[in-house]
Amino acid sequence: MIRFWLEKVWVQNTVLLAIAAIMTYYWGWVFDFGYKFEWSMLYTVNETYQVNLGLEILKGLWVTVKITAISAAIGLGLGTVLGLSRLSDFKPLRYTATCIIEFFRNTPLLVVLFFFYFAFPRALPDAAREWIFSFHFEFWTAAVAVGMYTSAFMAEVIRAGLQSIPKGILEAAYSSGLSYVQVLRKIILPLAFREIIPPLGSEFLNNMKNTSLAMFVGVADMTWQAQQAEALTFKGFEATTAASVMYLSFSLIISFVLNGVNGKLRTVGNTNRSLPVLFVSLFYLPFSVASSALFNPVGRFLRARRRQRAASTYVSARQAALRMVAKRAAQAAILAGKAAFLLLLGSCLYVTIKGLITFDWAAIVTEFSHLIIWQFPHEEADPFLGMGGFTLSFIIAVVAIAASFLIGLVVGLGRCSNNRIFRIPSLLYIELIRGNPLIIVIYWVYFLIPVLFNTFFNTVWSASIALTLFTAAYLAEIVRGGIQNIPPGQVEAATASGLTYWQTMRKIILPQALKQMIPPIVGLFIAIFKDTSLVSILGVMELTSVAKAVDNRLMVASMEIWTTTALLYFIPCFLMSKYAAALERKLSPEKVNLKM
Amino acid sequence: MRIGKIIAMALAATMMASTAFAGAVYDKVMQDKKIRIGIMTDSIPGAFFDAKGEWTGFDYDISTELAKRIGVEIERVKVNNKTRIAFIQQGRIDVSVANMTHTRERDKSIDFSITYFFDGQKVLSKKGAFASLADMKDKKIATMQGTTSEINIKNALKALGVANPDEHIISFQKESECFQALEMGRVAGWTTDATILLGYAAKKPGAFELVGDFLSDEPYGMGLPQDDSALRDAVNAALQDMWRDGTYMNIYNKWYGPETPYAMPMTNQIELWP
Repeated sequence: MIRFWLEKVWVQNTVLLAIAAIMTYYWGWVFDFGYKFEWSMLYTVNETYQVNLGLEILKGLWVTVKITAISAAIGLGLGTVLGLSRLSDFKPLRYTATCIIEFFRNTPLLVVLFFFYFAFPRALPDAAREWIFSFHFEFWTAAVAVGMYTSAFMAEVIRAGLQSIPKGILEAAYSSGLSYVQVLRKIILPLAFREIIPPLGSEFLNNMKNTSLAMFVGVADMTWQAQQAEALTFKGFEATTAASVMYLSFSLIISFVLNGVNGKLRTVGNTNRSLPVLFVSLFYLPFSVASSALFNPVGRFLRARRRQRAASTYVSARQAALRMVAKRAAQAAILAGKAAFLLLLGSCLYVTIKGLITFDWAAIVTEFSHLIIWQFPHEEADPFLGMGGFTLSFIIAVVAIAASFLIGLVVGLGRCSNNRIFRIPSLLYIELIRGNPLIIVIYWVYFLIPVLFNTFFNTVWSASIALTLFTAAYLAEIVRGGIQNIPPGQVEAATASGLTYWQTMRKIILPQALKQMIPPIVGLFIAIFKDTSLVSILGVMELTSVAKAVDNRLMVASMEIWTTTALLYFIPCFLMSKYAAALERKLSPEKVNLKM
Repeated sequence: MRIGKIIAMALAATMMASTAFAGAVYDKVMQDKKIRIGIMTDSIPGAFFDAKGEWTGFDYDISTELAKRIGVEIERVKVNNKTRIAFIQQGRIDVSVANMTHTRERDKSIDFSITYFFDGQKVLSKKGAFASLADMKDKKIATMQGTTSEINIKNALKALGVANPDEHIISFQKESECFQALEMGRVAGWTTDATILLGYAAKKPGAFELVGDFLSDEPYGMGLPQDDSALRDAVNAALQDMWRDGTYMNIYNKWYGPETPYAMPMTNQIELWP
């Protein structure tokens, strides 16, 4: 009976509207917040400070947009170079690229940023330092650090895309006599491009959200301005909401463009006339006109000439000699390039080893236990007995992933459901969280829980809740991906044989989907472990905070402390990522492919 | 059905939570025999972790004494310049003893005790590099985000004829970051309350000095919950008693006396009511 009614769309809409109305009524009129909302702070001039704080937040948005654009360009450029280097035959280049990628993938962005800002200039000679300081050093550090961090993720996407070409196609191409360059141009790149664009898009989105960390080196981006508004007026809830709405809109715009690009790239039955596609086509119009008016005739001419040349087999002695010289020169240039690269690598290694020898190892040895457990168990007042550092980071990450698993599973199932009552709230939840940087989510939980529930938690729990909510949204998307990968025929077969929805899910879909989901979940755990570095903003004594406290006390061993901290993040993350990769290979051996 | 139950439980929990925190803070403190005091973690010599990893400092000692005089146990809570006001508003702490200047804007959100410490804002820079703030007006100056120092330095630069003061100020999240930026030469000066500057300058004796006059007076008050006069009276009385019987000066000299690295003469006195 209930099911009959629930399948009607108008019933679903009514239920959703009713829930929304009840929530609005309850929090709008019944519930006593014990907090005075002052939304006017966002559009009026503050009397004490004579500034319009809403305008300041908009200025922050402009800085965020600039950093996003620059870091995305750096990320894409460097990511392509790194991704191609990783497939190179030249081993030193391949290993260097691998090292760089693994370093950035397994170290928190915050630590990378601090390293670039505080440690890097000290390694430079005075004149060079003065020179880089004469630019907007904060802005450029943030843009370059975020860009390099993004590049490592993009490099992996590009590499995976290039390697994703099915073995059979490559074999067919090679056996039909195409050269490597031809295979690359005609087969690999066009196919890989379609494979690469969608995940690359989500990296662009992550990149935008990562720019929120720029505030840690004093760049007045949007998060910074929201915090400034909070610090000046103590109206954190309003300021965070404003920033959150902006980030969400920015994310939605980026997603809109990406959807358009994806739609345009779809080759099968490309009659896609959706709004995003039309929008992108509009931008593409000048290029397509130029291409049909200019490039196509030129291309035709060049092709004709090449064909003509290929037809005549006659080569004069002079031509042959020239070709020989050109070939030798190219070989020599490649060799020289390789030698120069080795030289550069060698000098980098020399500097690193020299630096390592002068390290104050005694400081690392004495402070190591602090970095691992902080004051445990010497502080009775603290509910965690002074537990901190690496251990606390790990505990927060474990709590977040465990708690988010259930939420993620439920929301992910809801997102795949046909029933709007489940699908729309799940969709809202996922997009709301994924559209915001983690730091904004942390602030939301921190300001929202006291306002909404009139109570508070220890900051460690507050941080864990924020991370859980954040992780759950990403997990839900992994769940959705896993479920949608199961061939629809299986669901039809299950339904036809009389299984109910829950039976189908429990016995057929989830066991298969969960197996596929294990590698991305391990990846997510790595991300969460790294992201715990952000909760230092709430004063939780996790690894980054502890490193800062220790560094601050010693003042003479910054390099030592931060290198140790980076390693403490890197080693577990690296081992886990290796484990995830091994697991992926074991679970889907068909992906192991031919050398290209 | 199950969802209904969960919602009902959540609502019940919400209601209980709201009643649990309705009582006056002073009554709660006396009832629990415990006062929760917020202290900083990286303000030297105000409140910091020493070489043994133990919490110590001027604010640490003052807060210990304060709890003793009120006659309750102390529970120390870590705060920073972002959380020190929010924690009072949310009722996570009863008092904050955390380098906080008493301002009228802050007084709208929380209450303050009488001034318990007299500080003033100055600029720290490399020794011998600059004679006054005017020499620094083309350079960058570091400060902490969301502090009165940030507003004061912008006004001071504006008074010196700098067209766009925002361009010359880099606002960091923590004091230690400001100091590191000064040390590596990214900024010409770091401005905040003089005691904090002295605390950091003492890490490298002889390398840094305070420049120019005080930019402002920074009277520190203890942050207290809004509209809880019983607690405010108790804290004020405890502070005045500390001053009267000399305990205050003992603690002061322990941290800021002439023999300490942070030497700063006492030039003022705590207001006393007969």
